Amino acid sequence: MKRAWSLRKVSTEAQLLLVGIPVLIWTMIPVYHLFLFAISPRDKATSGRLWPENPTLQNFEFVFGQKHFYLNHFWLQLGNSLMIAIATGLITLFIATTAAFAISRLKVRGGRTVMNLALFTYFIPAAFLAVPMYKTMATYGLLNNRWSLILAMVTIASPYCIWVLKQASDKLPWELDEAARIDGATPLQLFRLVYVPLMVPSLVAVGTYALLLAWNEYLYGFLLLSKETDLPLAVALGNFLSADDSPWELLMATGFIYALPPAAIYYAFKRYMVSGLTAGAAKG
Amino acid sequence: MASVSFDNIEKNFGKVKVIHGISFDIADGEFVVLVGPSGCGKSTLLRMLAGLEEISGGDISIDGKVINDLDSKDRDIAMVFQSYALYPHMTVGQNMAFSLKLRKADKALTDERVGKAAKILNLNALLDRYPRELSGGQRQRVAMGRAIVRDPKVFLFDEPLSNLDAKLRVAMRAEIKSLHQRLKTTTVYVTHDQIEAMTMADRIVVMHDGIVEQIGTPLELFDHPCNLFVAQFIGSPAMNVFEGTLRRDGARMWVDADGQQWPVPASTSGKDGQAVHYGIRPGNMLMLEPGVGISAKVEVIEPTGAETEIIVKVGETRFTLVLHGRTDARPDQSVGLQIDVDMVHLFDRADGKRLS
Amino acid sequence: MAEAVAVLPGKRPPVSTWETWGRIMVVPYLAVFVLLVLYPVGYGLWLARDPQSYRQLFDDPVFFRTAINTLVFVVVAVNLKIAVALGLSGFFMQTRWWIKIIAMLFILPWAVPSIPTILSVRFMLNPEWGVINTLIFKLTLKDGPNWLNNPTLALSLSMVMHIWKSLPFWTLILLAGRMSIPTDQYEAASVDGATRWQKFRFITWPSMKGLYLTSTLLSMIFTLGDFNSVYLLTGGGPADLTHVLATLGIRYLRLDQIELAMASIVVALPFMLPLVFFMMKRLSK
Repeated sequence: MKRAWSLRKVSTEAQLLLVGIPVLIWTMIPVYHLFLFAISPRDKATSGRLWPENPTLQNFEFVFGQKHFYLNHFWLQLGNSLMIAIATGLITLFIATTAAFAISRLKVRGGRTVMNLALFTYFIPAAFLAVPMYKTMATYGLLNNRWSLILAMVTIASPYCIWVLKQASDKLPWELDEAARIDGATPLQLFRLVYVPLMVPSLVAVGTYALLLAWNEYLYGFLLLSKETDLPLAVALGNFLSADDSPWELLMATGFIYALPPAAIYYAFKRYMVSGLTAGAAKG
Repeated sequence: MASVSFDNIEKNFGKVKVIHGISFDIADGEFVVLVGPSGCGKSTLLRMLAGLEEISGGDISIDGKVINDLDSKDRDIAMVFQSYALYPHMTVGQNMAFSLKLRKADKALTDERVGKAAKILNLNALLDRYPRELSGGQRQRVAMGRAIVRDPKVFLFDEPLSNLDAKLRVAMRAEIKSLHQRLKTTTVYVTHDQIEAMTMADRIVVMHDGIVEQIGTPLELFDHPCNLFVAQFIGSPAMNVFEGTLRRDGARMWVDADGQQWPVPASTSGKDGQAVHYGIRPGNMLMLEPGVGISAKVEVIEPTGAETEIIVKVGETRFTLVLHGRTDARPDQSVGLQIDVDMVHLFDRADGKRLS
Repeated sequence: MAEAVAVLPGKRPPVSTWETWGRIMVVPYLAVFVLLVLYPVGYGLWLARDPQSYRQLFDDPVFFRTAINTLVFVVVAVNLKIAVALGLSGFFMQTRWWIKIIAMLFILPWAVPSIPTILSVRFMLNPEWGVINTLIFKLTLKDGPNWLNNPTLALSLSMVMHIWKSLPFWTLILLAGRMSIPTDQYEAASVDGATRWQKFRFITWPSMKGLYLTSTLLSMIFTLGDFNSVYLLTGGGPADLTHVLATLGIRYLRLDQIELAMASIVVALPFMLPLVFFMMKRLSK
């Protein structure tokens, strides 16, 4: 007769828990601390308690009401982050989709070279490109214009997106293109009526990736924009640090708000994101 | 409907020449099957006709007009692919209407054409379904429906039945054939299955290693294969072929092989002592009592219900016979094979060409 | 046959509609590439052309320190991280309901933007009122260290931060690699009497070797570019002792020494480019 709890089973579960619980704690500490700070009143945030004595939403009130010097332009800055992220997502999507279609389906001459150029760009750490990019935007007269950040983000996000889309495109059966050509499709019709509808899951993954990349960006925003009303929220948050007497709990509350959309999007599109993005990378 | 003409067609993939100067004509309304083993170039030839492959040399014409430089969509052809190539994100109806949608045809025309095709192929109940919800046979019919809606000059089929199971294949063969009889559109059909070729074609083009071995009606190819390859390719079970030596003695002619004398038809050309291949189909032999005709020994008996396949041995060579009905022969039994002399095929061993 | 045609019989006109549209459709990306990659890179290299910059660079003790920090950071953090990711990928393969929940939460560091979380950790480390030192005091009645004022501790904490942020991504990658190993190999090994370690050594590792190497190298490239983990935690301090290559450029920019900024990056190229070419060869198959 088989026992439900054999010694081996218990020890396996114990070993797994021995890994799982530390992993959980390790993962959650910074996030939980952020949350804790955000819902604690000013002086109590640092008490070291696991749950605040008087949890409050007051901090959020302050943030939403822009009731502090550093938060003067909160809504504007939130809007900037949103606008920059969405613009980056859409433009990158356009650039990457057309390029991937041309390389993978139309088999344009030199497509392989373009793909390699993109791949090469992907491997340049963005931080290394930041200083030259700053000077370049100055040359183009785009400093202190939000478009400089958008274009910079598009540049950084495009290579990976093109690569992912090309991998996904290559999986579409060739006969679909052939059948469409025989049916009378022009290249544009093939793109619009056959290619794009079939690529939707990958397009969602890639667009979301570019969007989140722009939303999460700090360095480029910090370099390229200086007017407070132009700043995305990420950079505004960083500016809190410069003073000694900053309202830390407000900073954390703002940070928490800022962190919510990406977390929400990741969880909503988890399926697309994981399969779409790791499929390309796991090829190695 | 239109005639199709291949004039000295050549195809190179890089430095490798895969099609060596093929020429033949297809008459208006004909159902021509390109058949041959894998790699013979039949699909490549079809794709050149479709505009999916570049033509390295020669001209292809439809209705007398050279189409080499025309894009696929301007050739007025429709193609049914081996993997059906249905658009997964469109319904059956949308799949069939797609070509008209591309030309911005009005709704009335589209509905009429799609309706007609759906009726012919019995697809009316499936118009709102998606390809992933359909069985293999249904998908194949949708692919054909899509081609019919085009109302093209030529239908092209690229091994459309290869992905179907045996029973379905038989049913679809009949459907395609009856479709052709109804629509009378010129059809070029590619397959590696010679049974499909035999049952459906008006004429068959047997291809091998990039050249045409023989063109003819199914029965012509069956009864008068012009070389060894065609003789062995067409017909199932395959023709029995073995090596022998042609002998002449005055007016008498026979072939020496396996220590026995084999009859040859009177029309045989060839010299005394010529090395030959002797071919006789399984259905052209009778099994009689020993002592009559060629001596043989029964090895295996395979009854298939209406017929019986018997494998006999003459010396070291195995022969397959097909008999109608049943037999009471036993393995290891000695028998005599009576050969239908008029149906003997002799081929020169050096070049494979027909001698009789 | 057609008469007097300039094109060889049987050949198509030189550029078909399809090829034309193909070219049109790569133009957007090519424009981005030329204007926003080629030009900046060229400009950067041009800014770094003065040999004097390099002399200045090598005379700067900050640069030296930075180079060492970067080396330590990349080598230690990456190898640690990928090794842990390999282990965790095995953990997350197990099918338990509670492991699935942990997996869902495990993605958070990757999903959430780094500014709030790094700042959150920074506050935890505050020597006066940060949670960590508060707890240390409660437990030991002694003051905890000034974490970010000690260069070794500060750099290590930056590495920890970096690992915290990027571990989920690599775990996912290695997990995907693990899942592609057919389970019947393991079943056959079980029947043959293999232990867990033997299964890892003879089935898992051979299949994962390539991915492990690729991940390590790719991660090194990414880690070289991690600006946030250092800048937001330590700011490069104390006294410019925890700079890495990624933050050094900004420091020089701030000091109006842009040529030095570019020179410091150029110096890193001989180490980076072989990595990049190797990665490209592996991935552009």
